Amino acid sequence: MIEVRDLKKHFKVHKRPPGLAAALRSVVRRTYDTVKAVDGVSFRIERGERVGFLGPNGAGKTTTLKVLAGLLHPTAGEVTVAAHRPQKRAAAFLRQITLVMGQKQQLIWDLPPADTWTLNGAVFGVAAAEYAKTLAELTELLDLKELAQKPTRQLSLGERMKCELAAALLHRPTTLFLDEPTIGLDVAMQVTIREFIREYNQRHDATVMLTSHYMDDVVALCPRVIVIDGGRLIHDGDLRALVKAMMPDKRVSFSGAVAAEVLDRLGRLVSRDGARTTLEVAEHRLREVIGHLLGVDGIGDLAIEDPPLEDVMRKLFKDKTAAPTPVESQGAT
Amino acid sequence: MRFGYYLRLLAVSMRTSLLTAMQYRADFIIEGFMSLAWTALALFPLLVLYGDRTTVAGWGFAPALVVMGLFTIMRGVLEGAINPSLIAVVERIRTGSFDYTLLKPADAQFLVSTARFAPWRIIDVLAGVAIVVYAFRELGRAPGPAELGAALVLCAAAVAVMYSLWILIVAAAFWVVRMDNLSFLLGAVFDAARWPIHVFRGVWRIIFTFVVPLALMTSYPAMALLGDLSVPTAAACLGGAAVFFVIARTVWSLAIRSYTSASS
Repeated sequence: MIEVRDLKKHFKVHKRPPGLAAALRSVVRRTYDTVKAVDGVSFRIERGERVGFLGPNGAGKTTTLKVLAGLLHPTAGEVTVAAHRPQKRAAAFLRQITLVMGQKQQLIWDLPPADTWTLNGAVFGVAAAEYAKTLAELTELLDLKELAQKPTRQLSLGERMKCELAAALLHRPTTLFLDEPTIGLDVAMQVTIREFIREYNQRHDATVMLTSHYMDDVVALCPRVIVIDGGRLIHDGDLRALVKAMMPDKRVSFSGAVAAEVLDRLGRLVSRDGARTTLEVAEHRLREVIGHLLGVDGIGDLAIEDPPLEDVMRKLFKDKTAAPTPVESQGAT
Repeated sequence: MRFGYYLRLLAVSMRTSLLTAMQYRADFIIEGFMSLAWTALALFPLLVLYGDRTTVAGWGFAPALVVMGLFTIMRGVLEGAINPSLIAVVERIRTGSFDYTLLKPADAQFLVSTARFAPWRIIDVLAGVAIVVYAFRELGRAPGPAELGAALVLCAAAVAVMYSLWILIVAAAFWVVRMDNLSFLLGAVFDAARWPIHVFRGVWRIIFTFVVPLALMTSYPAMALLGDLSVPTAAACLGGAAVFFVIARTVWSLAIRSYTSASS
């Protein structure tokens, strides 16, 4: 379980105007800015939940995850993770959590991943029998057999990420903080990682908090999303509810030609590439519009979808700059 | 339990370093050859210096050779067991993967200090021992068990001091990040430890005794081995080493605290 109450993390950053004169002045007298990376965020995540943690670059996601993992001391507020105060970095706490950072690696570059795993097993004090069992399970789930004995430097990015995940999970943590675990991976590998995360979550009733720039990851994995921007919480709740609140209209797409003036009557045109047309249609008009389209000759391949999460997010962050609280926080479900 | 845990960690870490070293077998041979060449070169000025005189600052050739032997041993320890880890850690701090060290349920300083070993540096240690043995053959005697014991204890103190100095440098890396220069500087200063401390006069002797205690690293253990070290000096060495160790540990803790409360 994760509980965060009014978390603040402020950094003092040395401010220096451009130019040599200013640089020289700043040697003598430094001026500091306070950057409010996280500024009063509260939420609660129950054991076994999978939560997407979203926000634009610099929103405070990584800072929050680092506080939750005990790498950063909070400036103010209270944080409890797995019944511990993370900043104390107690051994009992560290054995229950893991933080995977897609941009940083812990595998030893010159050695095969198996050697890093052995090292991690020893550091976490995993008993030999349990180590063998966990490794067998991870090997099966992530298909690591061929990779374990190859030097890390010879692995592809995706293969490396799979081995990084194994290194981070050998001690069977029950709370997973995943910071961009799929960054830079191709679509097939993203799906593999995603399915693995879901499987691990279900097998071990593990709590998962995930940040990702790929909204597909979030849609596929996280029933609940927490959205922050500028260090503040702007949404916490069901992903579908968020989409519905922000963009209630459905996307209707089809192939075939329809006259422009007819399209105008049916809904708002979103895109038209090649033979495929996408319209935005209010939900209450859906039946009527579909009926009409089905009556038109040459229309086929009809699909009704929610608007993509990327668009929802873009709208959410744009609205937020216009009005301070566009979406009501729904609290934990 | 804790002791057993850390002993096991040390063993696994050394195994990992050995595996890494095996990956580069050519390095093993080149490094070994280089360190032998360096040792031979280091002897050269000593031979020149004693070419037309029998003592320098009260030290005869053979006793000075003992200091040189201890210097070679200490350099092997420094570059085999201390420096590689700390260079690795400075690199980790810069790339941010040091975060993974702090996520481990073991003492961070221990993890940092045992991160990497350079096994082939054992060649330096063996060469150093050979020099000491040769020096005592020149003297025509062997150190007694008491002298040998005292020298071993002082060598341990010497390693503790070297280790503490290097930990202080790494701790500084949390604030300054680019620490390569300072570690090079300290490496260059350490080179002066090849000479008996009495060769240095005035302020240098004070600096090399108390600030960067080179005397403690080579001259005093050599004097203990030769049976020339007084008990109070030996005790002061141990006390000094303990003080250095405590300071290093304290600064390290402060550095970690500052890292976790300030970095992003």
